[in-house]
Amino acid sequence: MTAQQIRKSGGSLWYEAWLRFRRNKLAMVGLFMVVSIVGIAIFAPYVAPHDPIKQLIWTEGKEAKLAAPTTAHLMGTDLYGRDIMSRIIYGARISLQIGIFSTLVSLLLGVPLGALAGYFGGKVDDFISWIINVIFAFPFLLFVLAVVAVFKNPSMVVVYIAIGVVQWVSIARVVRAQFIYLREREFVEAAKALGLPTWRIVFVHILPNALAPVIVQATLGMGGIILLEAGLAFLGFGAQPPTPSWGLMISEGQRYLGQGIWWWAVFPGLAIMYTVLGFNFLGDGLRDALDVRLKR
Amino acid sequence: MKKHGLILLTLALGLSALFASVAFADEPVMGGVLRWHEINDPPKVDPAQVTDTTSSRVVYLMFDSLVENDADGKGVTPALAESWEGSDGGKVWTFHLRKGVHFHKETEGQPTANGGREVKAADWKYSFERLVYENSPRAYFLDMVKGYQDFISRDETGAKEWAGIKVVDDYTLQFELEYPFAPFVAVLAYNTFVVVPKEDAEKWGKEFNFHPVGTGPFCFDKWDHDQKLATKRNPDYWRKDDAGRQLPYLDGVEIVVIPDPTITYEEYKKGNIDCYRDIPDEFYEDVQANYKSVFQERPQLGTYYYGFNNEMGDFAGPEKLKLRQAFNYAVDRARISDLVLNGRFPAARGVLPPGFPGYNENLKGYEYNPEKAKELMKESGYPDGFEVELLVNNNPRHRAVGEAIQAQVAELGIKMSIKVLDWGVMLDLCDRGEVNLFRMGWVVDYADPDNFLYVLFHSSNKGAKGNYSRYSNPEFDKLVEQARVDTDYAKRMELYQKAEQILVDDAAWLFLFHYSNSLLYQPWVKNIHMPAFGDYTTPLYNVWVQK
Amino acid sequence: MLSYILRRLLYTIPVVWGVVTVVFILINVVPGDPARLMLGQRGDPATLAKIRSDMGLDLPIYQQYFNFLRDVAKGDLGKSYRSNEQVTTALLERFKATFRLALWAIILAALVGITAGVISAVKQYSAFDYSAMIIAISGVSAPVFWVGLLLLLAFAYNLNWIPGVGYGDGDWRYLILPVITLGVRPAALLARITRSCMLEVLSQDYVRTARAKGLAERVVVGRHAFRNALIPVITILGTQISDLLSGAVLTETIFAWPGIGRLEVEALINRDFPIMRGGIIFMALIFLVANLIVDLSYGFIDPRVRYD
Repeated sequence: MTAQQIRKSGGSLWYEAWLRFRRNKLAMVGLFMVVSIVGIAIFAPYVAPHDPIKQLIWTEGKEAKLAAPTTAHLMGTDLYGRDIMSRIIYGARISLQIGIFSTLVSLLLGVPLGALAGYFGGKVDDFISWIINVIFAFPFLLFVLAVVAVFKNPSMVVVYIAIGVVQWVSIARVVRAQFIYLREREFVEAAKALGLPTWRIVFVHILPNALAPVIVQATLGMGGIILLEAGLAFLGFGAQPPTPSWGLMISEGQRYLGQGIWWWAVFPGLAIMYTVLGFNFLGDGLRDALDVRLKR
Repeated sequence: MKKHGLILLTLALGLSALFASVAFADEPVMGGVLRWHEINDPPKVDPAQVTDTTSSRVVYLMFDSLVENDADGKGVTPALAESWEGSDGGKVWTFHLRKGVHFHKETEGQPTANGGREVKAADWKYSFERLVYENSPRAYFLDMVKGYQDFISRDETGAKEWAGIKVVDDYTLQFELEYPFAPFVAVLAYNTFVVVPKEDAEKWGKEFNFHPVGTGPFCFDKWDHDQKLATKRNPDYWRKDDAGRQLPYLDGVEIVVIPDPTITYEEYKKGNIDCYRDIPDEFYEDVQANYKSVFQERPQLGTYYYGFNNEMGDFAGPEKLKLRQAFNYAVDRARISDLVLNGRFPAARGVLPPGFPGYNENLKGYEYNPEKAKELMKESGYPDGFEVELLVNNNPRHRAVGEAIQAQVAELGIKMSIKVLDWGVMLDLCDRGEVNLFRMGWVVDYADPDNFLYVLFHSSNKGAKGNYSRYSNPEFDKLVEQARVDTDYAKRMELYQKAEQILVDDAAWLFLFHYSNSLLYQPWVKNIHMPAFGDYTTPLYNVWVQK
Repeated sequence: MLSYILRRLLYTIPVVWGVVTVVFILINVVPGDPARLMLGQRGDPATLAKIRSDMGLDLPIYQQYFNFLRDVAKGDLGKSYRSNEQVTTALLERFKATFRLALWAIILAALVGITAGVISAVKQYSAFDYSAMIIAISGVSAPVFWVGLLLLLAFAYNLNWIPGVGYGDGDWRYLILPVITLGVRPAALLARITRSCMLEVLSQDYVRTARAKGLAERVVVGRHAFRNALIPVITILGTQISDLLSGAVLTETIFAWPGIGRLEVEALINRDFPIMRGGIIFMALIFLVANLIVDLSYGFIDPRVRYD
């Protein structure tokens, strides 16, 4: 088999996977949920009924403060008279940004390092595996908190980096396992025999075949990251006001839960659940469709 | 006739006393444990090390100082010192100690090392010197006491004692100062300056923090970290009530630690905690609606402000005076307090809180005046507004106030961004002056304007010593220095008022609010009175529970 | 077997060294001066210098590092900057509470998760299967602290079934809600993993053979399939330890539980470095030991597993 043929058969594999995926109801539901959230995030200015940071208390006074859901404000308002629904809609951007950029950071670190470890083995593998094991041994929420604390200028970028720096190890593990498995395969032997340069073998021949589990891992990881952001916000780390972050909204709104003012904390919580659920259904579906077995 | 009158009067008094006790059932009840909430585990309860309110709460239960702040924060009252007098133009202070005050006899169910002996003047000298040995962060409050410098650098000077503290006899203690310092007696009411028994302090060394022994109404009993700290009644406490009954009434006080405010409030409603201090803004309306009769609030002697960096950066120097003033005119304090803080924090015109010694009714401060703000912005070269970054430490109230001011000044084109930082990081930045605008608050340590004006604005205190806004004005410095050493009270207050007006004219801060204290308690908690000095200082020795 | 354990233990040394080093680096680059925090809002520079030298913060960095390594090797984690408490004492005291919480959460998760997973697999595509899986995926989709709060408000403060929050001097009723809150995620995860492993095992030849021999379904599922499906399940349990300790941070804050997670977050905020680094090292050790135990347990479940 030549490299060309491998790629062709690879292509049809993806097509078969899509056919399998389409038959899976939960997976399709997940895809719909994720697409809908992405759509809401992209078209937020058109979907949102109000300005997410406009404080109505200054113009409308106390009536606008913590108002229960009405037709004007479907999900009520918060302490400053900001429309919660609009904040949730814009908040989708924040959550997706955190999910996507943190995942990017973890991919940028995890894929090359995992590939190196898996392909070369030996000392290189020992070293990279050692780093992976060290980071795995950390209690990860504390590690993220500590990394966030390192930066004097708290911003979303800091959160991306902090999460990415911790998350890359699970990507690296998956990639490493795939490379160990694939490097012994015939087509790699063939490519080596043809005298192709190593970087070409690694990136053009092996990597595309190792992608499926990475995609699954990254998709499932998105949900975890969105939850993590909420946890960080609850502890007071992460997004800066007046950013409409879902986690920040819950942590501000939860203080009013006991007094029957439920809308401030419950709606963003539901938004998080919806989004994470979508990514989890999607990830599960992808895993089944791509026939990936995730090793730890 | 005279005689008859006297008898009648005695009879009437006796009858009415009898009547009162029957009719109102206001007789104290002995026994019971009071559960007092705190938001975190007290970091330290060794009075030498205390710097936070939670730990202070515990210290007030177990220790006593020479003098105490009175309930209204206007001055001090006798505690372990029955009387005192100043001499030599305010350079020598002599304290006459109360007799019959004993250290705790028991702690954690065991006899203490001191065995419950009487407190003598030598114990006071030891306790003050111990502060220096233990590197107390508050020892320097007494740096005007003669020999302080020699004693802290005793490794070089070989000083064996703190020379300015003298034991005259068993019941007389004398302080000699380097220079006349008028607020001296007020400083001694600070909760670090309490008496501890040498035997127990030396037995435990650094571990004294976990085995505190003092003279206060309650003795240390048990500390389950992050859960509760239990204290027991001190049966030999020196105070008795007006009817001659031994205080305290309570069998003990438990400090209960619950970190989440939402949960704390629910626990209160459920009856699981007896006292909840410093009620967060989010529960205020609910408390007003449902628990008004068991809720106390009063202005606290403290000021909430945004500091400008007067030395370097975007707001520094006389050339930016109009900009600072513009900012002061741009903020609608009353409205923000009303909308975000339930109107609990009164707007501040200057630095000193109302009711505090030296407070100036006629101070010319800044009212909300957007027109004037715009005009001043134009005059200072920013007709369309400017951008500024505010640093706040991580706390829901500071975030809320910040967000409200952010939205409000935006109308004038002031684009204020908010950076939320850990307290430690913020202190670092402020110490070094690497800030333009920062949120800070000041709650009084001792009842004298010196604690505000000298500490927070004198040019020698720039940075960590309190002057975070790095304000410096020779004219101002001279006034507060003069007020420090003058012994004439009225004259001093006049000097302070003059000094404060200079500060306000210079717009050294963005003056915002004065703090307010609050305490919510269960209906069965009786005779509880929150003092102006802070909810965490509420005395519990004369409180009882009646279920 | 013994040599395997020894080798694994030996391998933990470089990992622990790595953890110790990373912690040291993190602490030294985190802004915020612990000595300064001891002073409260204001303090004088002379006292600050004294406190700093008491803490050993005035030594050169490399020397601080070697002192730290030496102390850790001796098992001495130092004293808390804030309270002066021995770090090991503080950690052990708090860990008791966290352990109690985490252990029950794991037991709950294993009972509920594995049972649900097995039934789902046996009755694939049934109503039970679908609802169990939807609940399981939802269970990993909600923020832990949010679930905890809603549970508390409902059961402790509206229905009054639970006396309140806190450790409650060991009263088991105080344990119920935090255990559920903390156990939801691992339970959901275990249910999903158990289901997929069981499905795979059930479709294999030896199970079919067993069925063909006419063995009762109960025996087939219980003895043959379940046993083989257990290995990946236990693996997941091992990885969950880290998640549990992290989840405990939030759960403990909500439920006023005097555990190690809360201690650590407060230590981070207050820059109480000895507590912070001690806690991280302690938790890393627990993670490593737990995973060793998990790996060893394979041998008991499946005698074919060999450690060489």
